[in-house]
Amino acid sequence: MRKIWFFIVLLGTKFGLLLCKLFHKQGSMIAGKTAIFFQKDFVKYFTNIDYNKVFFVTGTNGKSTTTNLLYHTLKTSGKNIASNVEGANMMSGVATTLIKNSNIFGKFNKEFLVLEIDERSLRNIFKVLPAKNLCISNLQKDQVQRNGDPDFIYQMFKNSLNKDVTLYVNNEEVRSRSLEDYVNKSIYFSLERNSKTFEKHDFYDVTCPCPKCSHKIEYEYYNIENIGKFKCSHCGYKSNTKVDTLITDVDFDNKSFKEGKDTYKVKYANPFMMYNYALVISVCKRFNIDANTIEEGFLSFINPADRRETYFYHGKTIRYLRMKQENPETLQNALDTIARDKNKKAVYMGLYEIKDFKPAYNNTFYFFDCDFKKIVETDVEQYVCFSKTASYETANRMLYAGVDNKKLKVYDVEDDFDLIFEDIDKLKSETIYIITGMKPYHKIKAFFNKEGENND
Amino acid sequence: MINVLWMYPDILNLHGERANAKAFEVIGKKLGLKVKIDRLDDLDEKVEFDKYDILLFNAGQLKEIEVLSNVLKNQINDLKKYIKDKKIIFVTGTTGALFSNNIQRLDGTSFKGLNIFDADIKEREYVLGDDLYFGFKKMKIVGPQIQMIDIDIKDEKPFGKVIYGYGNNGKGDEGIIKNNVIFTNTLGPVLVKNPWLLEYLFDLVIKNKKLKVKKKKIKYDLEKKSLESCEAFINKKLENK
Repeated sequence: MRKIWFFIVLLGTKFGLLLCKLFHKQGSMIAGKTAIFFQKDFVKYFTNIDYNKVFFVTGTNGKSTTTNLLYHTLKTSGKNIASNVEGANMMSGVATTLIKNSNIFGKFNKEFLVLEIDERSLRNIFKVLPAKNLCISNLQKDQVQRNGDPDFIYQMFKNSLNKDVTLYVNNEEVRSRSLEDYVNKSIYFSLERNSKTFEKHDFYDVTCPCPKCSHKIEYEYYNIENIGKFKCSHCGYKSNTKVDTLITDVDFDNKSFKEGKDTYKVKYANPFMMYNYALVISVCKRFNIDANTIEEGFLSFINPADRRETYFYHGKTIRYLRMKQENPETLQNALDTIARDKNKKAVYMGLYEIKDFKPAYNNTFYFFDCDFKKIVETDVEQYVCFSKTASYETANRMLYAGVDNKKLKVYDVEDDFDLIFEDIDKLKSETIYIITGMKPYHKIKAFFNKEGENND
Repeated sequence: MINVLWMYPDILNLHGERANAKAFEVIGKKLGLKVKIDRLDDLDEKVEFDKYDILLFNAGQLKEIEVLSNVLKNQINDLKKYIKDKKIIFVTGTTGALFSNNIQRLDGTSFKGLNIFDADIKEREYVLGDDLYFGFKKMKIVGPQIQMIDIDIKDEKPFGKVIYGYGNNGKGDEGIIKNNVIFTNTLGPVLVKNPWLLEYLFDLVIKNKKLKVKKKKIKYDLEKKSLESCEAFINKKLENK
């Protein structure tokens, strides 16, 4: 009876998708949502799915980029593959992907299935779609209003896993690495010390508790924030010395690296992407995809999740870096990008209240998880803090980082960019950096597209 | 000299609270006070209670609270003497559970805290995130609250009266104050945002130690403007309720 109901729902949603296509309407999300509304376990009735070739990609940061990269590389290698690359990463998004990639009897018509999965949906999706592969980019603080503390999500991951799952996991990421205890097979990917590796020795620097024994974790070095060669000060838990995929000889300027004997040229070269490449190589190796083919995928990959844009305005270069609010790693990445620029510059920061879920609230803790010192040590002409609710807190954070009060300017206004950017022309700096979350993005983009030159 | 011990900085570190430790240095310097901050990193290292005037316990996860409870129970008499001597302990977030009695976890297990507060803790099924705005003496204190636990404070004295937000359990009480052990649910760099609260902690030490110091006056202009922004934001939410 449930199977018959599945066919009815499937036909209905496929018909809906067809109508949307005919009338050029966006209906992909609605199809999955409708299916789940009428049949909660809809996803489990699809057939012809080889679960050994189903890859779930989850984690705090980078799951969209990793999913897109894995999908693109496997596709470039000629694999017949489906994915939710549009980014709908909960049960309804998975349902939509399967509706689109199956026949009217619910027979899945692709060989591989690569799905980005929201951390909180993982357990329920595993119940109806028992993938044999789970790739975790990392497990960090994020959206604390929803996710609380990292252990809250860790428990969800742990309770989702079973011994049949092969775990693809970052050897240098403390929390997700420790999930190795709950599966039979783990594939470790790793990035060797490189020119962008850094160490931390400040009195106020902190690490995290060991997920296995709760004692202090110590880092020998960091490749990116909170990710690097580590060991527990107590129980012996540490980064493995032998891993399945190890990226070495990274040349960021020439955009290349080595893995084993193979050299890869890539389009995007930053430490975060190196881990993504390592994960994808790990998967590709398992299916005997050769290095040249993988490289072809890496070189032709266009990252739709890239949060950086450049505008030209009154003779100045505006580098706009967006980050996820409440997510210290994405803010730190933006800060590191600015710190690498040793020329004179101005930095505009618009950190807002959080409106991801109800109620909206003001949480600025993540400013203090980040290290602003690296920027302060470079030649910054002026810091401009704007937003109605959090501009003074942002300014205070800068003072705590050692910024000279005279270099600080505060605009406690909401999205008045004519006012906020009024003094750009007076600055000596040729490069202006702007950091914001998603909220003011379209308005800022519109401002520079209206006022700027040669901006698309 | 005011001696601060920053307790387990790497283990109790959830929401940028390292800034609370830094605030002791920054605000102390502005006030013209001599402040020394030490870290206690190692769970196996004994706490030298005699050496310190303020113990700072930032927010941690329940998983680690259980471990810390077992560690500190080995020195419970020293800790009780420290509290009896009216020395200061400042505690934020879920770490309040450490000083409570019974902690009930979602998975059905439970463990005992240090029983400094006669309060019981229940882990919440859903995270609650909102602003928390409350009054303590003549101070207004604001910050975010990410609540992973509900707290039954029984007959303990609340630290503050909620103006907006959830506090201990949505019934108007915020935190606990007992002798000079202060617990608040306000997370993140609460002492950076509310330096008047930090100055109050310094005043307690000055009084306890009978220190002959003359504090410099600070206007806290930036922090006051920040508070006003938060108040305006919260008032807007109250109007729309």
